[in-house]
Amino acid sequence: MNTIIQNILVVTALVLAVAFLVKKFFWTKKASTKSCGKDDCGCH
Amino acid sequence: MGKQINVALIGNPNTGKTSVFNALTGLNQKVGNYPGITVEKKEGVCKLPRGVKAHIIDLPGTYSLNASSLDENVVIELLLNKNDKDFPDVAVVVSDVENLKRNLLLFTQIKDLEIPTILVINMADRMAYKGISLDIDVLEKELNTKIALVSTRKKTGIDDLKNLITNFRDLPTQPCLNAREIDPDYFTRLQSAFPNQLLYKLWLVITQDVNFGNVSRKEVDALDDFKTKSKSDLKRLQQKETIKRYQFINNTLKKGQTIDLAAAKDLRIKLDRILTHKVWGYVVFFMILLLMFQAIYDWSSIPMDFIDGLFASMSEWTKDHLPQGQFTNLIAEGIIPGLGGIVIFIPQIAFLFLFISILEETGYMSRVVFLMDRIMRRFGLSGKSVVPLISGTACAIPAVMATRNIESWKERLITILVTPFTTCSARLPVYLIIISLVIPKGRFLGLGYQAMTLMLLYLIGFGAAIGAAYILNKVLKIKNRSFFVVEMPNYKLPLFKNVALTVIEKTKSFVFGAGKIILAISIILWFLASYGPGDDFNNAEAIVTSQYSKENLDTETLQQHIASYKLEHSFIGLTGRAIEPLIQPLGYDWKIGIAIVSSFAAREVFVGTLATIYSVGSDEEDTIKNRMAGEVNPILGTPLFNFASGISLLLFYAFAMQCMSTLAVVKRETNSWKWPTLQLAAMSSFAYIVALIAFQVLK
Repeated sequence: MNTIIQNILVVTALVLAVAFLVKKFFWTKKASTKSCGKDDCGCH
Repeated sequence: MGKQINVALIGNPNTGKTSVFNALTGLNQKVGNYPGITVEKKEGVCKLPRGVKAHIIDLPGTYSLNASSLDENVVIELLLNKNDKDFPDVAVVVSDVENLKRNLLLFTQIKDLEIPTILVINMADRMAYKGISLDIDVLEKELNTKIALVSTRKKTGIDDLKNLITNFRDLPTQPCLNAREIDPDYFTRLQSAFPNQLLYKLWLVITQDVNFGNVSRKEVDALDDFKTKSKSDLKRLQQKETIKRYQFINNTLKKGQTIDLAAAKDLRIKLDRILTHKVWGYVVFFMILLLMFQAIYDWSSIPMDFIDGLFASMSEWTKDHLPQGQFTNLIAEGIIPGLGGIVIFIPQIAFLFLFISILEETGYMSRVVFLMDRIMRRFGLSGKSVVPLISGTACAIPAVMATRNIESWKERLITILVTPFTTCSARLPVYLIIISLVIPKGRFLGLGYQAMTLMLLYLIGFGAAIGAAYILNKVLKIKNRSFFVVEMPNYKLPLFKNVALTVIEKTKSFVFGAGKIILAISIILWFLASYGPGDDFNNAEAIVTSQYSKENLDTETLQQHIASYKLEHSFIGLTGRAIEPLIQPLGYDWKIGIAIVSSFAAREVFVGTLATIYSVGSDEEDTIKNRMAGEVNPILGTPLFNFASGISLLLFYAFAMQCMSTLAVVKRETNSWKWPTLQLAAMSSFAYIVALIAFQVLK
């Protein structure tokens, strides 16, 4: 039982680590085009 | 009341704006970026009297509202857009008592936006020293505002400022200058075209091409009955506006300020004569660098040894006290050694930033920029390139972004391309561990060989940057040059609070920025080193036991052979073996190869990777340094980290473009993959060749 739990934790940690690195280096956030208020003020 | 108000802290560079911000917010501050752009956004919270809370934004330093850079644009866009969630209820303009005339230009412009504005006259403690006296009542009357006379150094005036912010509703909002005075006919027509808009805001929309509310430059241009002026006419009107403002400021200061030049004691001129001297200036700078690196070594050895031992004990404790299994192994052999590889360098990083921060706070850094400009110009760079190159000692990413104030595109491009040569803080862990392994501890004239090697690496990095700039200058044929103006702030004793906050903030960003990447990479590396494909890995125990069956090895030695065999046949071992032929001529083995590949994410990962690889399968409590010192080159039979391979590695890291994030920023700043690709190829090839020559000559 202990072995199974430990293996699950290892796999979870691995998946989280890979996901973090992919997000960090390959995921590009879209820059916000409306950053200056509630209305469309067209500010750039 | 329990209400939160927005306060914008605005001012010219070098007026002590950040000191006022620190005095108001203490540690309740955070640093981020403005949305969509990479200009640093500093904000914090300050508790005011009567339970009012102030959300304070430290806006980028600007000389006027006539923006010429992205930083300055941020200030204008915030002040013009009432819909912005950060739009200030009150603007606090910070000025320096010694440069009041120049600083008041920005104040009058902000006041004309009819935002409640408080004037902070900072560095009040220098008034007597400089023979300055102010009549605050007269100045308040003339400028139609409230003034806080502040000295962040002596901690005076901050409570008055807090009271003024709390009572911001009592502040008059009448403008200093009637915009119509600039050109009555033109401004009358402008006002008639937009009767509900503030005239000065309209003027900024036209001259700065920024939009606010529902009025944009295009709309102004589109109006049939209102013809805006040509660019040159608008420039002429802007000049007229500036003259009008200075006339107003001169009249105001004549009434409220007196300067007794006879009473002014100027140490500054005497110091500048030495510190910016064409010979002594460089000698002093060199001596300061030497002392700095020596101190970094001497002061940090005790805390570093302590941290190293602590992490080794933590690994041991984890193995002994947690239930046996792979997750425990992951923590003990992967995560703890990996993180230990970064935490150990906190003392040295903190001391480095302590010195840099003190040099900046005292005003000496501006003199260094001035000194370096003389060298820069010979290599085809502008003086403005000095700032990115010097800030590159912290990190290349903000340094590349700092090139935005270089007007000439070619000069900017060259600066972007050469900045990653300067030694950033991420190289420091790599340098420090290799130096400690291959450079003897002896001293020459009281200066340690190790400290001198470190300083030499910084100088090599800087030399490579200007050398590369010289070549690029010839290749790219720069014809246009930008002018260089640097403001020399007065010499000051550094404020402990400012220095401490800088050290904390920089060290935190180093540890947490790199720490998360290192944690993730440590987990992946441990997995790749603990698992492998095929029978060789799965039957490692049986294979090794039968191999050594005749040698009668004790259990511990046999276990070490099994662990070593497993590591060689793990995923990471196989990958390392595949790249080994490429790096063997440089004196490295496959484990160093893996560390070099993984440190492409961030250079400091190098040490963490080796710590993780050397820990996998090891039951002994040992420090990273000892493990590295004990590694043997399987071919030569000599210590793996010897003088030749160590120097080769140091030079490789000095020149290689080992940073994914920097490449991403270069791509964004140049808007092309061409430049980062060329940069990566050129720097990596150069690093490889230099490292190869170094090893082959020294081995």
